[in-house]
Amino acid sequence: MKEFLRRNGIWLLVIALLLSILIGVSSAFMGGNADPLSNLVTTITTPVRNGVAAVGDFFQGVSRYVFRYGEMEQQISDLEEENAQLQQQIRESQEALQENELLRNLLDLRERRRDFVFESAKVTARSNDNWRSTLTLSKGSESGIQEGNCVVTSTGVLVGVVSTVGSHYCELDTVIDPGMEMGGIITRTNAVGVLEGDFSLMQEGKLRLAYLPDEAQLVAGDEVLTSGRGDVYPSGLVVGQVEGVFNDVSGMNRYAVVVPEVNLDTLVEVFVIKEFDIVE
Amino acid sequence: MTTRDQVHKWFFYALGLIPIWVLDAFVLNRIAPFGVIPMLLPLAVAAVAVLEGAYAGTGFGLAVGLLWELSYAGGFGGLVFGMALAGMAVGAASQYVLSQNFFSCLLCSAVVLGALDGLRVLRALFIRLDTLDVLLRVAVPEVLLSLCWTPLVYLIFRFIFRRVGGTRLA
Repeated sequence: MKEFLRRNGIWLLVIALLLSILIGVSSAFMGGNADPLSNLVTTITTPVRNGVAAVGDFFQGVSRYVFRYGEMEQQISDLEEENAQLQQQIRESQEALQENELLRNLLDLRERRRDFVFESAKVTARSNDNWRSTLTLSKGSESGIQEGNCVVTSTGVLVGVVSTVGSHYCELDTVIDPGMEMGGIITRTNAVGVLEGDFSLMQEGKLRLAYLPDEAQLVAGDEVLTSGRGDVYPSGLVVGQVEGVFNDVSGMNRYAVVVPEVNLDTLVEVFVIKEFDIVE
Repeated sequence: MTTRDQVHKWFFYALGLIPIWVLDAFVLNRIAPFGVIPMLLPLAVAAVAVLEGAYAGTGFGLAVGLLWELSYAGGFGGLVFGMALAGMAVGAASQYVLSQNFFSCLLCSAVVLGALDGLRVLRALFIRLDTLDVLLRVAVPEVLLSLCWTPLVYLIFRFIFRRVGGTRLA
């Protein structure tokens, strides 16, 4: 300690404190934007992240091929069967679409929703602690991404919401992060609630649909979509399926545990919804 | 030691930090052994502080805190001061109370990790994130599984210390 004091070690602590305050204050004033230091460091380390992610994906693929060959064969056979079923469903849905189009024309309905504007991005990093669930993507404000943009998979399944934007990267809170909160709707009954992340459920990879109306009748397997209420997030994005309905600790309110459709562990490429039309 | 020696020495410590950071940031969060993502950066601070003492431990803690804050999501700045303080405390403890060996490093790592997760639990309780038992079910395995990595981290930095650490280059 004498050596520490003799060598003015206290100044190191003062510098550390000042840096902490600087980062803290700049984070607070930047809102959802990354502070300049973080932005600089992450921009510099982005090629490293991209490289490591690419190498990691490659070795993951090789190890899957080597160690899970039998399982993959079974998966291929299952997928072929599923493909046949999907082909049938596509034929049926095409008929339904044609019928739907006809009905729209008959009723002179106008299209109330235009296509989303997407920005594709790679997942370059994942949350590195057990207290949050976040992903880092390879695109940022230079690509028009903003805080609050929803992120989906190629099949339109909700992954999360952008929380911090740097110039060439962005971070998103996934659907199971405790900070997540958005309107949800059960497609079967049209019952609405609030989708929110829950710390204990996050450890199991799930989230909850809270503030359910008393009359809402939910069953396991019900599909949950975003409701779009409040016009902050787009409606109709697939979130997941109801696993069960429970009472909270007070016993007064019910909530549903929702298993997300997205598999966060295997995500490689996602799509950020930069613009959407509000459904009236 | 000359300035050149100092630069040489800390260059090697920085090199030693790279594989630990890569493991922490890109590998272990994908694998998550036993479903828990370990924290390796506090172990690096504890190892260097045990080997190099309070002054160097503070500086290394400051650098690791900056790396942690700026390259990972969701930081608020406190880790820079926290890691510098941890480096100072561990360095002082190893100089005056404990000794420069693996068991001191293990003990100090446990204290640093415990303090970090203790603060996280307190914050989570304050914002009513969840109940104490749920938070402890995350914090305790996180600390214990992180400690399992102490031998590897300590070996890396002891290897560097034996070649360029202390005043060996002088």
